[in-house]
Amino acid sequence: MLSKGLRLACAGAAVAVGLTACSSSSSSGSGGKTLKVAYQKFGNEIHVDAHMQKVKAQFEAAHPGIKIQLDPINVSENDYYTKIDLMMGSSSTAPDVVYEDTFLINSDIQAGYLTPLDSYLSTWSDWSQFPDTAKAAARGLDGKTYGVPMGTDTRALYYNKDLLTKAGIAMPWQPKTWADVVAAAKAVKANDPGVIPMNIYAGKPDGEGSTMQGFEMLLYGTQDTLYNSASKKWIAPSKGFSDSLQFLKDAYSGGLTLPPQQELDPNVGNVVGGQLLPQSKLAIDLDGSWVTSTWTPTGAKPWPAWSSTLGEAAMPTQDGGGKGTMSMSGGWTLSVTAKSKNKDLAAQFVELALNKDNSASYDVADGQIAVRNDVAADPTYQNSNPTTAFFTGLVPVTNYRPAYAEYPKVSDAIQVAMEAVITGQSSPADAMKSYTESLKGIVGSSNVAAGTS
Amino acid sequence: MRFRAAIAGEDLAAAAIGGPTSPRRGRAARLTRATRQLPLAPALIMLILFFLGPVLWSIYSSFTNAALTGDGAANPQWVGLDNFRRLFSDPNVTNGIWLTVVFVLGSAVIGQNLLGLAIALLMRGRNRWLRGTVGAIVVSAWVLPEVVSAFIWYAFLGQDGTLNQVTKALGIGSQDWLYSSPMLAVIIANTWRGTAFSMLVYNAALADVPLDVQEAAELDGASGWRRLWSVTLPLIRSAIVTNLMLITLQTLSVFTLIYVMTAGGPGFASSTLPVLMYQQAFKFSEVGYGTAISLLLLAIGAVFSFVYVRVLKPEA
Amino acid sequence: MGVDTPSRRAARLVCAGILVLIGVAFLAPLVWLVLSCFDASAQTNVKFPDHPSLDNFRAVMNTDMLWRPLWNGLLLCGGSALITVLIATFAAYPLSRYQTRFRKPFLYTVLFATGLPITAIMVPVYGLFVRLQLVDSMPATALFLATTSLPFAIWLIKGFIDSVPISLEEASWVDGASPMQALRHIVVPLIAPGMSVVLIFTFIQAWGNFFVPFILLQSPEKLPASVTVFTFFGQYGAVAYGQLAAYSVLYSMPVVVLYLIVSRTMGGAFRFAGAAKG
Repeated sequence: MLSKGLRLACAGAAVAVGLTACSSSSSSGSGGKTLKVAYQKFGNEIHVDAHMQKVKAQFEAAHPGIKIQLDPINVSENDYYTKIDLMMGSSSTAPDVVYEDTFLINSDIQAGYLTPLDSYLSTWSDWSQFPDTAKAAARGLDGKTYGVPMGTDTRALYYNKDLLTKAGIAMPWQPKTWADVVAAAKAVKANDPGVIPMNIYAGKPDGEGSTMQGFEMLLYGTQDTLYNSASKKWIAPSKGFSDSLQFLKDAYSGGLTLPPQQELDPNVGNVVGGQLLPQSKLAIDLDGSWVTSTWTPTGAKPWPAWSSTLGEAAMPTQDGGGKGTMSMSGGWTLSVTAKSKNKDLAAQFVELALNKDNSASYDVADGQIAVRNDVAADPTYQNSNPTTAFFTGLVPVTNYRPAYAEYPKVSDAIQVAMEAVITGQSSPADAMKSYTESLKGIVGSSNVAAGTS
Repeated sequence: MRFRAAIAGEDLAAAAIGGPTSPRRGRAARLTRATRQLPLAPALIMLILFFLGPVLWSIYSSFTNAALTGDGAANPQWVGLDNFRRLFSDPNVTNGIWLTVVFVLGSAVIGQNLLGLAIALLMRGRNRWLRGTVGAIVVSAWVLPEVVSAFIWYAFLGQDGTLNQVTKALGIGSQDWLYSSPMLAVIIANTWRGTAFSMLVYNAALADVPLDVQEAAELDGASGWRRLWSVTLPLIRSAIVTNLMLITLQTLSVFTLIYVMTAGGPGFASSTLPVLMYQQAFKFSEVGYGTAISLLLLAIGAVFSFVYVRVLKPEA
Repeated sequence: MGVDTPSRRAARLVCAGILVLIGVAFLAPLVWLVLSCFDASAQTNVKFPDHPSLDNFRAVMNTDMLWRPLWNGLLLCGGSALITVLIATFAAYPLSRYQTRFRKPFLYTVLFATGLPITAIMVPVYGLFVRLQLVDSMPATALFLATTSLPFAIWLIKGFIDSVPISLEEASWVDGASPMQALRHIVVPLIAPGMSVVLIFTFIQAWGNFFVPFILLQSPEKLPASVTVFTFFGQYGAVAYGQLAAYSVLYSMPVVVLYLIVSRTMGGAFRFAGAAKG
């Protein structure tokens, strides 16, 4: 019985993931096992769940006798992390495969929760399809790889063509500097005071979204960044940091954005994507590439006219310097936990879940930017969404977060600074000062250096 | 007249009585005494295993850098008093202590307690229909799950919420209450949610105040307020102490309501200690520092309890 | 009774007026909930639905979203409430009837424990559950929930037992009954209304508890309604306010019904807090 199952498993796996992967599983004897897969399924974020259901069926068909137990965790992002950290902490509860955000993966690597995948990836022919930047997203300080990226994202400006045209701005719009963005917003406001000129996320309720879509989209367009990888020091205070805060202050106090109280509502993301943009009440939105997945026929708020109503423009650098435009990228990976008792099988699951076809269908459904070269070159993927080409085109100018173990706390300190500035509780200078102090507390004074002044 | 003040720990009730048999000397008596306490055992075991154990562990971990992820998860280190030093130099904690005290005084001591007493007093002698209806409305606010109450208040006080619709209709103008006065918002919401408890306690206590006592005072010409102050309130004194203590302890640890309504913001304007504790322990996964904050919360609870027992100690 | 003078009648009217105002104020926030659950396109503003319908209820009334979570909640919270009342009654009896050295400190500790923020101890509790292989076990989670409400329950029930005159038990002792028999046949029937209040109180507390089941249970099919209610909050999509309202109403229903069942005895049971007896 067992041997028959194994033979079948072998045959199936050979079809699905290639012979190399199979040989390792058959040696460990895999009949009658259960693999646990933990991931987040929250609100309208249903695409990962759909993807896992599909891969489960494929994997079980290819590996008779092995059961995939899906563990969708139905909570917000912070609670999801609490839960998987607790689960991964002990061998009796650890899932085998876990869905990890690249922004937190380093702290989980440091906690010893994840298993290095190098030995599996070295025999996985598909791995060569992943570009180095993508591989780096899940690389630990020890140089080993702890996750396979599912996709990535970029960020840019969405604009309402109608509202901008009415304000006298020529189409297609591509601002060259921050000043151009502000000028367009002011023109919209002057033309129609009932419209919200632009949206930039800022403040704690939106969490990492504020840090990345809001602050880092400004900061990484200045001469400064958050972290200098050459000197291995975190940067503060810096001119770039205070200029970014000043930009937010001017935008918010100048009435170019949502009122701060609305911005600090935890539901602001839903309001922007679900109401303001579809109702043409917002002219410019600095947001992520995935936002359009809200409006597809299977999305949370179907809006067929979105692609003709909205245009996209790359975010310019502060004064048009550098590469002229910029973006920020994040993304999620699938990883194998350190306490998994079936690491070989788990690695095979990851490889199956992110093979070409599965990566492609997931990236299309979830509005992700493909990381695999073969998927990126695939016409079905390219034509799946009118904005795909645009957002993929931002990859050459994009930046990645310094996703070290301390990063989540640094991100929070940034949100605190933004919130203090947009509510008028602090001046940009004071907010930067307290950010610098917090940063020293988080990473240690010796790891902080001033940027340009 | 005798006061029963069970909960305040002042055991004036039923003096200890030996039990079925008269006390014997030696082992047999000790055995009997031990057997009598036996029914306590299951409760003790549960409390020690699931309560005392974790609490002691929490106290221990407040002296470490234990964390859910990162270095502190792999090798938690003993950091001595670091967490406590950080606690007292952290302006958000100092602010949090203040907000917690305001929250307890505002929503428990003043809000729930006084409003509950007022409703109970007003209900006396009203017709049954009015009593029943108002009572049911107040109690329904208490029975609803905390998350649901939080949603309701989030919607009620929001920019487009019911309250602003009313104020706009009255021509007072609207504001975003959760943003402009977050503490007031959560205090009102918690008062709404908890008043029923105090009302029920005082209803029961007042039902035992004999009407003739009041009438006697009335015949003496005592005014309504004086009657309340010098006759009624002293009679329900132990109910007041108990109620204050219970609602204070419950209010101190209110988390979900505040978290859903304001998430502690804007800035840190409504970050009471439980909200800060949650953020430290679970958002930043710093379990050690988070538990240090919760020990602080316990200390505040102790201070309140001490004050109640001392100041309002029932006279024998 | 007293003489009904005009000024007294006026005072009465004022009192009744204030009471009505309080009732209206308490009712106002609930209006949104009731109207929105019949409005498929509800937002946070209060308005009469343009097309009143049961769509929201239809959308949430399915096994995965509603029935199973409610059933899980009933098992979890009902189980924990029963355990609490049983264990607390046993514990309260000796505490009420026999004087020992450790009684007073024990009672103070127990009272104090009612104020402990449970969230603060969830990490060690999880560690304990892992060590005892209890993670994802509903009985164990119910037991933990019961423990968290035990201190308060012991306090309340001890108060009820204190108010039962000991002379009744003495009579039964003379007849040869053991203290436990006396507890069962004499004390429990007398304090039954109080016990039912504790039962409901514990149930209501547990029913709203999100964090404990979220941390201690794993399988989605074991989660109670307090955890699944978060389904209605999207990160990037719109909050389905109408469905949220409908779900909230259905989710609150069991506790409301339970309350109605005991509401008659409830008032009297609240004498636990101590009152003057003539």
